[in-house]
Amino acid sequence: MHNKKLTRAGVDSQMCERLKHHHVETCEDLLSLTPLEVMRLAGQSHCHSLQLLRNVSVACAPKIITAQQLWLQREDLCFSTSLQELDRLLHGGLPRATITEVAGPSGCGKSQLCMMLSVLATLPRSMGGLDSGVIYIDTESAFSAERLLEIAQSRFPDYFSVPERLLQTAGRVHLFKELTCQEVLIRLDHLEEDIISCHAGLVILDSVASVVRKEFDTSLSGNLTHRSNLLGREAATLKYLAQEFRIPVVVTNQITTILSERASSGHVSFTAPGGEGGVGSGYVTAALGNTWSHNVNTRLIVQYVDSHLRQIVIAKSPVAPFAVLNYTVQKEGLRLEGNASEEMISAQGTDPGLQPIRVRTGFDYRLTGAMAMTPLTPSTTSTGGGRCDNTGV
Amino acid sequence: MHRTIASLPLAPSVKIKLTSAGFDTCADLKDLRPLQLCKEAGISQEEALEVLQTLRSDDGAGVASHAGGAGAVSGGLTALQLLQKEHALGDIITFCSALDSALGGGVPVGKTTEVCGAPGVGKTQLCLQLAVDVQIPVCFGGRGGRALYVDTEGSFLVQRAADMAHAAVEHCRVVTQDAEQQAALKDFTVENILSRLSLVRCHDYVELLARCYLLPDFLTKHPEVQLVVIDSIAFPFRHDFEDFSQRTRLLNGLAQQLIQLATEHNVAVVLTNQMTTKVWNGQSKLIPALGESWGHAATQRLILHWEGTQRLASIYKSPSQMEATIPYRITEDGFRDLAPPPFPTAQPTSSGPAHSVQQRKRPRMEPLPS
Repeated sequence: MHNKKLTRAGVDSQMCERLKHHHVETCEDLLSLTPLEVMRLAGQSHCHSLQLLRNVSVACAPKIITAQQLWLQREDLCFSTSLQELDRLLHGGLPRATITEVAGPSGCGKSQLCMMLSVLATLPRSMGGLDSGVIYIDTESAFSAERLLEIAQSRFPDYFSVPERLLQTAGRVHLFKELTCQEVLIRLDHLEEDIISCHAGLVILDSVASVVRKEFDTSLSGNLTHRSNLLGREAATLKYLAQEFRIPVVVTNQITTILSERASSGHVSFTAPGGEGGVGSGYVTAALGNTWSHNVNTRLIVQYVDSHLRQIVIAKSPVAPFAVLNYTVQKEGLRLEGNASEEMISAQGTDPGLQPIRVRTGFDYRLTGAMAMTPLTPSTTSTGGGRCDNTGV
Repeated sequence: MHRTIASLPLAPSVKIKLTSAGFDTCADLKDLRPLQLCKEAGISQEEALEVLQTLRSDDGAGVASHAGGAGAVSGGLTALQLLQKEHALGDIITFCSALDSALGGGVPVGKTTEVCGAPGVGKTQLCLQLAVDVQIPVCFGGRGGRALYVDTEGSFLVQRAADMAHAAVEHCRVVTQDAEQQAALKDFTVENILSRLSLVRCHDYVELLARCYLLPDFLTKHPEVQLVVIDSIAFPFRHDFEDFSQRTRLLNGLAQQLIQLATEHNVAVVLTNQMTTKVWNGQSKLIPALGESWGHAATQRLILHWEGTQRLASIYKSPSQMEATIPYRITEDGFRDLAPPPFPTAQPTSSGPAHSVQQRKRPRMEPLPS
């Protein structure tokens, strides 16, 4: 690759020595120069400089394949999420070798989805899994091993009735807690080796936004570019690893409020049943800005409908149309609810970087346990079975 | 004749020795022989030979131009010849008839076109559509060529390309009329389309530059390639550079190479660019990324953007077409018009979709008088 030394790229030793004096030692150094600069440093004529650049290019350039060769491996193109409607829309599931982002307000179910995907990845191929390890990089301390096992047992009770399998699944998920930007970068640099040693088939970064937003104050000048560069580097590393190992990468993102006078133009308000439109003079959308929206290949947005029903929105995808699916968070992870109608699936959408997200506007509660028998004031609407006790993740 | 030694494309050390030996312009070196030059300037025999050969090739072009007399200058074209050549090269259709007519037929072969847009608006979809459309057989109105797709972002998904290929094959099957088209249709299948679509994945700017240095050789070996797509050119250059001036130098060099590629090898080069936020007067706007100087790189520039839930394509810069904005949509079949184009027998002022579409002016190009 580009760290290749010139000596191994077929450049003769005399030339290498000469270039070394000018600190040009790797292919990357040489290709970062324009031909005129190469002429000056190498002391060669224009023709010879171009020839030198071409020779070094041959050592670095990636191979050309045909789309047909990819098509022949098409059974292996996606990672099924076990949510049937979502898989159908995504033409099979989360595409491998790409970055899928899940963005949404806190408590909506992003980490739940990640844990559910972790369980699925460890399952054997006959059950739709990847039969591999999982690397879970946790920056928010949202991962709970107990919850992972609960999801496993509730979702696949027959398979996990054998306790060894439960232990095997738990043993295949490798958790790394990284709490600063620097640590995340170091972990990503090291990720190639980790993937090989863990036999990982799925990489989850939960979340990419938290460390970056803690450490970069974008109101200070220069910080915005610095942050974009950092995120760009992270995305490039993840894409490279995703491509080389042909695995899916899932990252989670937070939300931010955009305050603008021109909220009306470019604003799509969802009229979900019983819901109202967006916030007043501003709206909530995925964090990390427009540049980051370019970096991810697929963007799934999770948002609230009411305190139990949530929605997953396919905001950006190279294969799927813009679509909205309802779901709830249950013991077995995510469960899609009542999505038989085709109304919510359309060929329209808006800029994924500006897609408005509905957040939790109220706090509904219902007493659990013995006290539930005593009727309270009928102000709270019945919300059906759900989790009121813990998580909130 | 009066060209100075310093401006010749020779090695710097050779030039220094020549100038210190007293040679200033090419005229001084005119009638020398290699051995004589070698002794006078103190350079090696091979270097002397190289100097004289460079001189001769430089001179040769000049002599021929004088001998050309009235009429075509050697190495140059008249505008009429250029017009005929461009008409022979043709365009690659996009399957969105409004965009095709705004572009004067489609994406022109032999020129560089840049497609900028916000995330998710359809740049990759347009590129995939073009990569399939360039392969449509000539008897159906296509180019019958092959495509090379340089992917730097990982957004090429073969399932999507297969869907678009399938839709294109179906479209051709529906419009098949004569025997020639039927014969061509046998060869135009999804597998064949995918096998004629070459793909290369570059992970950073070094790999991209390396691949671009080798593109002339690739295109010489595969002359049937008529489309080169780079999706996207912005991603590798946006985060690795501390030194912006180095980035500008590399991008300018790349732009020159791509223009040369397009003209010499008769391919259409399509580049995808991202958008960046620029804060200006307290307001933030989206502008194409990679800076101001990159704006000069491509011959034609298309910007894809959202207006609410409607996708629009605008011609931002073009030497031959008027600025226009047309709506489009992305369907399962690919990049398409907003609504099926009206039949020619419909009333002249068709009511069309009820949203504001900028009035499209007639393109400037008149059909070539035969």
